[in-house]
Amino acid sequence: MTLTAQDWLDKIRALPPTRRVRIMNVCGGHERSITMAGLRTALPANIELIPGPGCPVCVCPEEDVYQAMQLALRANVVLVAFGDMLRVPVNVAKGEPRSLEQAKAAGADVRPIASPREAVLIARQHPQRQVVFFAAGFETTTAPVAAMLLEGVPENLFVLLSGRLTWPAVAMLLDSDTPGFDALVAPGHVATIMGPEEWAFVVEKHHMPAAVAGFTPLSLLAATYSVLRQLLEGECFLDNCYPEVVRPGGNRTAQAQLMQALHIVDANWRGIGIIPASGYALNAQFAAHDARIRFADFDTAARKHAGQMPPGCDCARVVLGRIYPNQCKLYGAACTPRTPIGPCMVSDEGACRIWWAGGIRERATGTVPP
Amino acid sequence: MCLGIPMQIVAIDGYNARCTAKGVMRDVSLFLLQDEPLAVNDYVIVHVGYAIQKMTEQEAHSTWELLDEMLALEAGEADAAESS
Repeated sequence: MTLTAQDWLDKIRALPPTRRVRIMNVCGGHERSITMAGLRTALPANIELIPGPGCPVCVCPEEDVYQAMQLALRANVVLVAFGDMLRVPVNVAKGEPRSLEQAKAAGADVRPIASPREAVLIARQHPQRQVVFFAAGFETTTAPVAAMLLEGVPENLFVLLSGRLTWPAVAMLLDSDTPGFDALVAPGHVATIMGPEEWAFVVEKHHMPAAVAGFTPLSLLAATYSVLRQLLEGECFLDNCYPEVVRPGGNRTAQAQLMQALHIVDANWRGIGIIPASGYALNAQFAAHDARIRFADFDTAARKHAGQMPPGCDCARVVLGRIYPNQCKLYGAACTPRTPIGPCMVSDEGACRIWWAGGIRERATGTVPP
Repeated sequence: MCLGIPMQIVAIDGYNARCTAKGVMRDVSLFLLQDEPLAVNDYVIVHVGYAIQKMTEQEAHSTWELLDEMLALEAGEADAAESS
């Protein structure tokens, strides 16, 4: 018999009451489903679902966005990027364009794309121009970028890569004195590519329950039930609640392509800092297509607030799950999707944007429970 | 960004496939699944224009249903947000 979302909810409610349990997700898609389906209010009050580092746009370094804008403003450049990168603000002096969208309004040729294949197409259509593909994303999105490179790209296509691995940010939180959560729901499509085993460290090293989930309320509730049962029984294991596409070992072809085109480097996460071995860079064989090599670096040490979140913005703590979105003092006041201050209110995967779209208008008082 | 949509393969030409999801047609790359035997009528989950894994017909249909429910919820939320 197949269980419905309601069945899983009933099973969760039938569990013996526990102390407060904080379950972190690390995927904007998970957070969107949780918020839109109203899972927080449906679950018993002692179960908290915390959005963690699950938004690649939110942690994309400020200097990378700045670099993309400066390249876009060159006459011969077409800058293409996934749509929700376009409104991410950087820290510049008043009057200067502060996002790719504003650079476009100032005359830059900036185009949103939905697939790396569109970047190739645009480069083929404009052989006389330099097409820069600003690619931010986690493993699920970075594997297609690797595939694009290996399949062969036109000479005039350059990649400004801000690819990130998901698990190192979770490892960093778990290695800290205050991880801030008691169980993990691991991201389904990252695990589809990389294999669920990547998350085994949560269980083996940190003895914390973990379950891979898909993107429907059904799969998320199954994962929630799984980690609660694990906590109650005191026995942790890595559960797979998205077996439809998450296979043992993941997609090995995609993993091989990632390693053939790219290598893993220490990488900066906006507002958070360098996380060791958490980013991707192009391999030497693709140096001719590496925008970081082909173009001058516009980011200088003299830039004010370089690398940081905008002044007053608490996105970094939202990304780390240290506070809920509506505990930022800018939430819903100075910062709304219409006039976003920080990247979490811009991206479709940003927790602030998702909570706002889910109808949460009130700011929470008090501070977050450590 | 990591959202994936189940699609059914309609035609295959090398690493490229014509795929459909509930009447919407898209060109999809099979490059990341090149070691997987794939045929017309198979179902795959597609992310940013690339098929990232095979799935069964039943799984594809149940995912579509659940995504539809989600989209209906989101449309409702968006309306509510606009009018508030």
